[in-house]
Amino acid sequence: MIVSFENRLSRFLGTTAIFIAIILVLFPFLWIFLESIKPPSLGGRPDIWRFEPSWENWHEIVFNSNVPLNILNSFFIALITVVISLICGAPAAYAFSRFRGFQGARYSILAAEMMPPAILILPLFLLLYKLELIDSRVGVITAHLTFVVPVVAWFLIGFFDEVPKDLEDQAMIDGYTRFQAFYKVILPAVRPGLAAAGIFGFVLSWNDLFYSLLLTGAESRTLPVAIAGFWTFRGIELGKMAVAILIAVIPVLILSYSIQKHLIRGIGGSGVKY
Amino acid sequence: MGQVDFKNLRKSFGSTNIIDGLNLEIHNSEFLVLLGPSGCGKSTTLRLLAGLESVSSGTISIDGCDVTELEPRDRDIAMVFQNYALYPTMTVEQNIGFGLKAKKMSPKLIKEKVNEVADLLGLTHLLNRKPNALSGGQQQRVAIGRAIVRKPKVFLFDEPLSNLDANLRLEMRAEIMKLHRELGATTIFVTHDQEEAMAMADRIVIMDKGLIEQVGTPTEIYFQPKTRMVAGFIGNPSMNFMKGEISKNSELKLPIGNIKVNTILNLGQHIDVGIRPEKIKLADPKRKPNENIVRVMVTNIELLGPRAIVKMEHESGQVLTSVVDHDEIGKYELGTNISISLASNALHIFPKIKD
Amino acid sequence: MHIKYKLILPLVFLLSGIMLYPFIFSLWLSLQDYRLTRINDVQFVGFENFGFIATDQSFLNAMGNTISFVASAVIIELIFGLSLALLIQKLLIFRGFVRSILLAPMFITPIAVGLMFRFLLNSEIGIIPFYLLRFGVSLDWFGPELALFSIVLIDVWQWTPFMLLMFLAGLEALPKTPFEAARVDGAGRWLTFSSITLPMLRPVIVVALIIRALDAFKVFEYVFAITRGGPGNSTETIMYYIYQTGFRFFRMGEAAAASILLIIFILVFVILIVYLSRPKVIK
Ligand SMILES: Nc1ncnc2c1ncn2[C@@H]1O[C@H](COP(=O)(O)OP(=O)(O)O)[C@@H](O)[C@H]1O
Ligand SMILES: [Mg+2]
Repeated sequence: MIVSFENRLSRFLGTTAIFIAIILVLFPFLWIFLESIKPPSLGGRPDIWRFEPSWENWHEIVFNSNVPLNILNSFFIALITVVISLICGAPAAYAFSRFRGFQGARYSILAAEMMPPAILILPLFLLLYKLELIDSRVGVITAHLTFVVPVVAWFLIGFFDEVPKDLEDQAMIDGYTRFQAFYKVILPAVRPGLAAAGIFGFVLSWNDLFYSLLLTGAESRTLPVAIAGFWTFRGIELGKMAVAILIAVIPVLILSYSIQKHLIRGIGGSGVKY
Repeated sequence: MGQVDFKNLRKSFGSTNIIDGLNLEIHNSEFLVLLGPSGCGKSTTLRLLAGLESVSSGTISIDGCDVTELEPRDRDIAMVFQNYALYPTMTVEQNIGFGLKAKKMSPKLIKEKVNEVADLLGLTHLLNRKPNALSGGQQQRVAIGRAIVRKPKVFLFDEPLSNLDANLRLEMRAEIMKLHRELGATTIFVTHDQEEAMAMADRIVIMDKGLIEQVGTPTEIYFQPKTRMVAGFIGNPSMNFMKGEISKNSELKLPIGNIKVNTILNLGQHIDVGIRPEKIKLADPKRKPNENIVRVMVTNIELLGPRAIVKMEHESGQVLTSVVDHDEIGKYELGTNISISLASNALHIFPKIKD
Repeated sequence: MHIKYKLILPLVFLLSGIMLYPFIFSLWLSLQDYRLTRINDVQFVGFENFGFIATDQSFLNAMGNTISFVASAVIIELIFGLSLALLIQKLLIFRGFVRSILLAPMFITPIAVGLMFRFLLNSEIGIIPFYLLRFGVSLDWFGPELALFSIVLIDVWQWTPFMLLMFLAGLEALPKTPFEAARVDGAGRWLTFSSITLPMLRPVIVVALIIRALDAFKVFEYVFAITRGGPGNSTETIMYYIYQTGFRFFRMGEAAAASILLIIFILVFVILIVYLSRPKVIK
């Protein structure tokens, strides 16, 4: 048995519980993968497990659909959102971490993070409408910035807090200005944090449905909106939807695992001391 | 009661043996100190006895009863940890009473016993505080209170004083000894501070690299060290050592010259010869027998209030350290040559073990 | 200007533009009769929108659904997350591997999760009802009785990992020696858990609870993907209500008023949680 409990029964129960949890988590992934390689004629038949794998759904999605464009949109939007977030968020996070008088201000970042999208979507929609930016990537980026920037800034505060103050003091004694010390010494020191925050922000933007649904059209449609569309417009196209879901999910899982160990510091910020 | 017996105790983490065949009998009501350099396995020994680590082989018994496989709670021991290990979310009262609560004692009785212990340790006014609102010394008292309230057979202390400042350490030292006299329970106390060990112990166990080097009273340990390690570890400043060899006529051939002693060692045997700094005296002009006079140069003098530490060097390059009383210090002058005497009966001879 | 202000300037500008300004716009909007269909005929109506919303049965229903949803989802996630964290902490082998697998759901886009479960639980083509039927269990997962509960289960599937992540880190960060002291003190597993682990973990639990609850208030994707608020309006949540009011019925003023009520509600909720979960002061 692989769990360290003193008595056998609880060891058995513990191992079993973990096993069940793993199956519950993995089952939908397995199922969606099988659906994606079922021949379209067998789509939506829960009783059929044995079939010749067919790549028809994948072929259809990759060559005969808008999904590649949607991927491109999602990728581009997430990338630009993250870059802007880092450019604006990193210096501010550093300032929040280092200077007196910002103790309260750092919680305003948290407040911004908690802002429900419901309250922002209405004015954003109207503004973008007036600026004729509905169905544009710029519009979606603007909307995504509202939740990515605060998360990235909050994420980074925790990392800056862990860089010893001596480091920039040393740099300034060596003749750098404070600002030079920041971008030549401190920024490189938090590179893993920048990467983690960037990846986390990317995933958030990539996964968003709410804003994208309301602000995109045929040109700028992102992958989650497209996935939702498999249901609305063309009836049930389970196989193709499965492919689109896998395309949306796989890169994100890979990215997320690369930052797993930084996540806690990022989410908890340094406001939470365990 | 509270007699502890280690038989052939071994403990390894992975492939490294941390405790390597330990045999020790600890008497009832004894105050036993485990002393040794950091990393020698003192804590591990204590944790094995507490049941916090499982043994690799060997047995541990308390009062003749084999406890090797028992859970800590079934061993009737209490332990005070180096960082006190107080429960941070509980008050002092709850901390002290927790062991009794675990035994399902009635709240009323628990309160009574906790009050009694708090009284004994002067914690009564702190009972409702949380540990982080206490000073280091107070936290220490709570940790001790938590141990004694359960009236266990054996108390275990793992370097409990090392986080306190010097004055408080002396005070707590005295207090722990007083408690031991009053409660009379067997106490095993781990420390790496030899002064603490000397002051507190009935018997000291010197450990090194997972092995016992010597067991004895503080006096025995100081005056009759059995091994080179013990001799070098005990005493401050530490013992002077000279490499040597037995030459003919049972003379010691040393860098500073030949010295005649009574020894049963064989010709050609390599040895270390030690002499405590306080045994190095200025040579008396009226030479006594049994004294070995050596010419050395004074190279450094450190004044330490009532005493001074004098470093000197023999022409062979051998360095010796001596401790000198304050009123003698005028007789030593930096850079001058002096004659010192090394009494033969103050020399400790340790054969070199080939390895 | 001090460098610290220069450093935060870009962020302040950006957030003023994309958050503060829209927020104020929203406040203004909530006081207007603003319809997308009559965009040139906007009238100031004072607190009329609030009055309308506060008495609107659909709004109250959506609020009620959301509260039931948040409360049940977050509590189930808390219990599962904590139990799993305690179990995983006791794992002797494969610990990192198991953790990686169990954390996976929280990273994937909620609309995908919603759609997957929409089909997994579909009463005609779903695998789960299909096999449950073989055991004689016939459930309509998205029928009037179960729909909200099904959506709770989906949320639990996706977000228990978040609790797990927080609690694993929290447990990892606890000092080890109090647990050893408790073993020596003779405490059993339950006493150790209830009087040492749980109290020491409380700050983490509170933070996890707040973050998760605030996030759950925003639930939209599952409803959008599966039930569109139905059957009837049994799964209409507050976000879905605002989406409908604003973008299907084009009544922006009322939607804005609803979103402001939501914010006030969330604020009260957070203050309440923080207040209720503060350590008790012992006199
Ligand atoms: N859990 C463990 N795993 C591996 N090595 C350990 C463990 N605990 C202690 N050790 C090793 O055992 C040796 C003795 O440790 P310890 O008993 O704590 O020494 P000390 O005499 O300083 O109390 C040390 O070298 C330490 O690194
Ligand atoms: Mg130790």
